[in-house]
Amino acid sequence: MLERLYRRFPAVLMAQRNLTRTKIRSMLASLGIVIGVIAIASLGMFGVALQYSISENLGGLGNQVTVSPNSEAGVQNLTERDVREIRRVVGPDVSVSPEKRTVEPVSYDRGSNRTEVVYGLSDPASVYNATEGRIPEPFQSGVLVGETVAENEGLQPGNTITVNGSSMRVRAVLESTGSFSQLNPSNRIYLPVNSFEQRGYQQVYVSADSGTEANESAVAIRDALNDREQRVVVQELSSIVDQVNQTFQVINTVLVGIAAISLFVAGISILNVMLMSTVERREEIGVLRAVGYQKGDVLKVMLMEATLLGVFGGLVGVGVSTLVGLAINHYTLDDATALFRLANLWYLLAAFAFAVVVSVLSGLYPAWKAASEEPVEALRG
Amino acid sequence: MTVIDARQLVKRYRTGGQTLEALKGIDFALEPGEFVSIMGPSGSGKTTLLNILGLLATPTEGRLLLEDRDVTDLGDRKRTLLRKRTIGFVFQHFYLLPTLSAVENVEVPRLFDRDRNRRARARDLLTRVGLGDRLDHRPDQLSGGQKQRVAIARSLINDPKIVLADEPTGSLDRETGRQILDEFRRIADEQDVGIIAVTHDELVNEYVDRTVHLVDGELGREQLDA
Repeated sequence: MLERLYRRFPAVLMAQRNLTRTKIRSMLASLGIVIGVIAIASLGMFGVALQYSISENLGGLGNQVTVSPNSEAGVQNLTERDVREIRRVVGPDVSVSPEKRTVEPVSYDRGSNRTEVVYGLSDPASVYNATEGRIPEPFQSGVLVGETVAENEGLQPGNTITVNGSSMRVRAVLESTGSFSQLNPSNRIYLPVNSFEQRGYQQVYVSADSGTEANESAVAIRDALNDREQRVVVQELSSIVDQVNQTFQVINTVLVGIAAISLFVAGISILNVMLMSTVERREEIGVLRAVGYQKGDVLKVMLMEATLLGVFGGLVGVGVSTLVGLAINHYTLDDATALFRLANLWYLLAAFAFAVVVSVLSGLYPAWKAASEEPVEALRG
Repeated sequence: MTVIDARQLVKRYRTGGQTLEALKGIDFALEPGEFVSIMGPSGSGKTTLLNILGLLATPTEGRLLLEDRDVTDLGDRKRTLLRKRTIGFVFQHFYLLPTLSAVENVEVPRLFDRDRNRRARARDLLTRVGLGDRLDHRPDQLSGGQKQRVAIARSLINDPKIVLADEPTGSLDRETGRQILDEFRRIADEQDVGIIAVTHDELVNEYVDRTVHLVDGELGREQLDA
């Protein structure tokens, strides 16, 4: 196969033989490229993994819209009618969870009373999953606690806690959602809505399946409820997610940019090696010109050498980077196969392409120098 | 018909503030199949003349005709192409590429051509100069005489009209030198290739048709050698 390649591209034959003539030197020049590629690809992939793990923690934050009463306009609560209106405008695919909130004295396990915020949800089973116990449907008695609360207070289904003087049985422990989500139940205590005296709700959470859908919902809610007066404040969280993502994009670009410097250094070492080699092979190049090689042919052979250095270094670099990437993804995301995402492959490809381009550019000057040498001068030694 | 015809060649070099006249009006012609030696002391302008005849350098004055075509003012590209088609080179220090095998070295001048017969032709040429059993040896595995034969085979790969040899026996012992000169004689006779050898070596004159003496950039008397 190699024989056929050489036959087809004689410049490859000559370049490859020339490079293996000074093996150590060629290896060292390639090593620079290898390091550069690893630096770029690894940092790039690290950034991707970091960004992925952050956005996983942000969870569905970007898909959420919160609706609160506009206290500036004198609205204290959202009424049942408001909730119905919200449900109507966002459509059946978007989940709407109205929430009541009040401050009550709470005591766990006959301890002293603490004043805590307690929440009321009409249908928690549609929003949360239970890690222990079962969420009753409908939720009319008992209490649900978040994972952190359960852990701190040593609670499990069947225990009782006292809220505002009345004992209530813990029915289920709720599974945490993304840590930044406003809906995260981890630190909360939920009571059935019928145990609240107040009418109306303090907040309505709207969760859509995507950021776009959330945005459409927000617009629809504003149109419907703020038609005549500014009754509600609608907050979209997708802009926060966008900002976080943008920040990471910037950090990543800077990191990769720094890594790219190492490739430029590698390019300089190729330039150096090629220049040495053109000086050493002056007579040979002179002979090539004498026996009828055009300047372009000499240029081709020399550039091919630089290209081979780059391709070889690039391939080894991509190989090592793949291993590094598997390790990064294994340790940051607990999933080594997360490496095979488009963004990572893109970084690998870009690092390889950059390596080859840098090598060819570094080869240009030595190749040009070799090609434009007068054969008579070169042969004089 | 002459293969190469030089008329009143003058070559001047400018070194520092001085102008050095290396060739002072040389007239020289070569017939097909003719083996000519150019002799002269160092600095007499031999190599300069050879470079001009080989289209590696251009004369300051005078004309150069290659197969009756004026090639004096051709550009680098055309000269390179013409050099490839009509002229073969043999050097004192062989100048083989150390990374390539004997047969690959012979192929070098045609390496960039699409030519299916290149390998076969290179083998054939090496066999003809007596290296049929050394085809895949690297230059460092060959003796001086063998290297020079590889170089001769290389100079013939393009079916040249002329072979220019710069001190072809300069790095060889006397016996090996004779073998190489035999080779040149045979090539001139059998293939009708004109050969010009620039040399110090008196031995060469036993083989040539004609010797030209060059002294201080001027031609001396010519000896006819039958």
